[in-house]
Amino acid sequence: MSAPRIAVLVFPGTNSEDETVRLLRACGGDAHLVHWSRADTLAAYDAYVLPGGFAYEDRIRAGAIAAHDRMVDDVITGCERGKLILGICNGAQVLLEAGLVPGTGPARRPTAAFTHNAPQAHYLCAHVYVKLVIEPHRSPITAELPPGAVVPAYAAHGEGRLAADPAHLREIADGGHVAFVYVDADGTPVRAPNGSALDAAALVNREGNVLAIMPHPERDAWNYQHLDRGGRTDPLACSGGAALFASFVAAVARS
Amino acid sequence: MSPLASDRAATVFPVRALDDKTLAARAEAAGVALRVDELRRIADACGRDPTIVELHAFDAQWSEHCSYKSSRHFLRRLPTEGPDVVLGPAEDSGIVHLGEYDGERYGIVIAHESHNHPSQVVPFEGAATGIGGIVRDVLCMGAEVIAVADPLRFGRVEERTSHARHVARGVVDGIAAYGNAIGVPNLAGDVYFHAGFDDNVLVNVVALGLVKEREIIHSFAPPGAQGWDIVLVGKATDPSGFGGASFSSLTLDAADSDANRGAVQVPDPFLKSVLMRASYRVFAMLREKKIVAGFKDLGAGGIMGCSAEIASSGGYGAELNLDEVNVALDDLPAAVIAVGETQERLLWVLPPEATAEVLRIYNDEFTLPAIAHNARAAIVGRITAEKRYVLRHRGEIVMDVPIDVLTGSVRDELPYVEAVRHEPGGNELPALDVEALLPQVLAHRDVASREPLFRRYDGVVRGTTVLPRGMADAGVLAPIAGARLGVALAVAGNPRVGAIDPRAAAEQAVLEATRRVVAVGARPIGLTDCLNFGNPRKADQLGAFVAAVDGLAHAARELGVAFVSGNVSLYNESKEGRAVPASAVVACVGAIADIGATVTPGLKRAGSPLLWIGSRELALGGSVVAELLGIEAPLPQTDYAAERLAAALVRDAREAGVLLACRTVSDGGVLTALARMAFDARAQGRALGAEIDYGNPFCEAGGYLCEVSDAGALDLTGVLRIGTTLAEPALIVNGTRFEVDALHAIWSQPLSEVYP
Repeated sequence: MSAPRIAVLVFPGTNSEDETVRLLRACGGDAHLVHWSRADTLAAYDAYVLPGGFAYEDRIRAGAIAAHDRMVDDVITGCERGKLILGICNGAQVLLEAGLVPGTGPARRPTAAFTHNAPQAHYLCAHVYVKLVIEPHRSPITAELPPGAVVPAYAAHGEGRLAADPAHLREIADGGHVAFVYVDADGTPVRAPNGSALDAAALVNREGNVLAIMPHPERDAWNYQHLDRGGRTDPLACSGGAALFASFVAAVARS
Repeated sequence: MSPLASDRAATVFPVRALDDKTLAARAEAAGVALRVDELRRIADACGRDPTIVELHAFDAQWSEHCSYKSSRHFLRRLPTEGPDVVLGPAEDSGIVHLGEYDGERYGIVIAHESHNHPSQVVPFEGAATGIGGIVRDVLCMGAEVIAVADPLRFGRVEERTSHARHVARGVVDGIAAYGNAIGVPNLAGDVYFHAGFDDNVLVNVVALGLVKEREIIHSFAPPGAQGWDIVLVGKATDPSGFGGASFSSLTLDAADSDANRGAVQVPDPFLKSVLMRASYRVFAMLREKKIVAGFKDLGAGGIMGCSAEIASSGGYGAELNLDEVNVALDDLPAAVIAVGETQERLLWVLPPEATAEVLRIYNDEFTLPAIAHNARAAIVGRITAEKRYVLRHRGEIVMDVPIDVLTGSVRDELPYVEAVRHEPGGNELPALDVEALLPQVLAHRDVASREPLFRRYDGVVRGTTVLPRGMADAGVLAPIAGARLGVALAVAGNPRVGAIDPRAAAEQAVLEATRRVVAVGARPIGLTDCLNFGNPRKADQLGAFVAAVDGLAHAARELGVAFVSGNVSLYNESKEGRAVPASAVVACVGAIADIGATVTPGLKRAGSPLLWIGSRELALGGSVVAELLGIEAPLPQTDYAAERLAAALVRDAREAGVLLACRTVSDGGVLTALARMAFDARAQGRALGAEIDYGNPFCEAGGYLCEVSDAGALDLTGVLRIGTTLAEPALIVNGTRFEVDALHAIWSQPLSEVYP
């Protein structure tokens, strides 16, 4: 049996596919780009990564149209079969719009969304830290991270604020769906820079096989991306945000 | 007679039968900017009266925007050759040699343009299409687009309801919306605010690309291309952007802004994102099959301008059928299809055996027709051996002219008066109250933190960013996966100096752009310029332009760096006909051999010597403090030998491993540079400060402020040690103490009101 293969989905408007594939491969994953016109090949992959960008121009609401793309049919089917699925930024928005995260309703009937930042509803690019607030084994995707791991990343989005009605928010909080929250470099909780409910940076579904994270760990995952934080000696080595990718790849290998 | 109303495209425009006065009136009524003498030259070259389509084709092609008719002969003064130059200013972009990795030579493609007039009229769309256009200029060289930058010059934004503030916001939002969506990091840029830009904003845009030097695609039909296909790719042609080339060659008050809104193009970054990725796939296919092709961006002059230039620069003619062009609306007049400037279009010249596969990639694999209404790749014509340019429309020949007349150089020898060099009296330095002035300088609109603006830009997409915008004087990327090679990018051009002395401002722009690249540990390898000036038909305004070109040329020769690309934007004037402050905006690309040795500006530790390396002439002319105090003072003179020595010393300090941090001394002077180095440390959690003793800490004469670990390792002849770093977040200046946190709050606030 060959090594499990990871598909990195490219919708029209996706823009972070290349660095996502590059980091997955550096972490040992057998990752491949799959474009929307080759949706027919998706079912054969063992895991799915939905990278950042502006799929279908973020029309209506970020991720709303992409959630109805033919490619997401296979993502939904894969989710039901327990395949591991990671969505980053726009990919995270698609997973919420597809109803896979928090996954408390039917597919394509979202119960929460990542929507316009608040109080300033504009795009924000800022370096952030996020902290794992679930027990690592709650999700296979985070299983290799230490408890309370602090992961560096870049927030780079205009619609990253978790929003839901009070009942669904309670469901998210009580169901242990908040996987990462925003913190400072020392791991102390801070208010989410985008006004996100529960200061949530990432959500996980009940089964733990789908993780949707708003900030980009792949943009602070190489030493050259943080030279003054110990990155100078081997600038081309992986570090920082690569830990989450490595944990994901390890989980795919186990699956 | 509006061209949009004129259906009979082959209808002639009477030139020869009319007297000068009637002809001028007819031309104006037809919405063309061609002068009477130019119209007569066209009729003579054609041997008959031009058709309506020909009239608009020449109007675009002979506009200042396309032909550089009043500026090109001056631009020959710029140095454009050197050991780092791979391709000088001849095509859509220039290319410089970055370095070698894994047996391949890599080039950095760079282009620099303005989108001033469109941005003044419709700020969001004007600025967005500026980014869209510059990205295509780089893409069409066969390159992957790796960064953009945006030097901006705004008017006074202090008043909440001012139009200048509306423009300043719209421009930033337009750049953000476009650049973020296509996934190209915004790596560098600057912004100045000056009353001289109240009526005429400057929006310059720069883009960088990465290309293997043996895989460059040129913007001309390759040898042996007769009979090859001309393939148009992208958005369906619509009436937007009709007359754009001649619009940007008019002053804004002549060009009534409502009437010209239609001349501004409509951006579609979503389509562009797909077009870029599809084009990368086409590049790979052509490389694999060893097929040589021509590729060019559609800009001014639309399909006509692009196809005529790609054919004629290869020594060919071209014949196109406008009925094959994918259009957004039925019944578009031939002139609009031919010269309209609809965005998001590119044009290939392909050997017929490659065409089907190229069409398949764009139309089927990347599904262009499903991405935007009637977008596609389609064959629209062919390259001909006969050097004529022929357009057909609905069975008629609507244009048939000698191609070399259409694309050949037109030249206007306009008179100019030499710009007067600034020579103020009063060399006496005023006594400066540092305690009162430092907070004012840090809060000055040209010094205050730019973060509220650039945090709206994605600076880290693609995952290659080493130093994002704002972290240092230049942005740095590691563009080649697996390689330690880095590329640095910085821009400069100070309108406070430009308003005083165009030549000095141009020289300083070259100096400061190169310094910024040197400060992060890079070697300058190439320059671009965008010359934003007034009306060339006013002798003093043309004189300012000429003086700036001479300043650029002199500084670049002295520093041994070539200009590989550039752009001229004229007719930038206020409503009263005053030129904008002379603005020669310069971008500099630098090469870094090892990104691990990139220099960052944050102070690193307590007890380090602080050195001011470079010119320290005590001249306040053009400085922030001179403006705050309302004094006129001499401009700093440039000593190029000292400048070269300073750059060499910074390099030596880095190579010796003793350079801990570095910033250039520019807006706000050496004390501002020091405060920012303390802010940079603060941003990384290091609470450090410094104590300095220096009499004129606001002078902007240039040079570098460096923190070094061991001054003994360097030859410090001519270098001033101005102080020492402290273990507490405070700046002690000539005995006066400032808290870094308090200064940071002052510096951070002003622009957050404009960009909340």
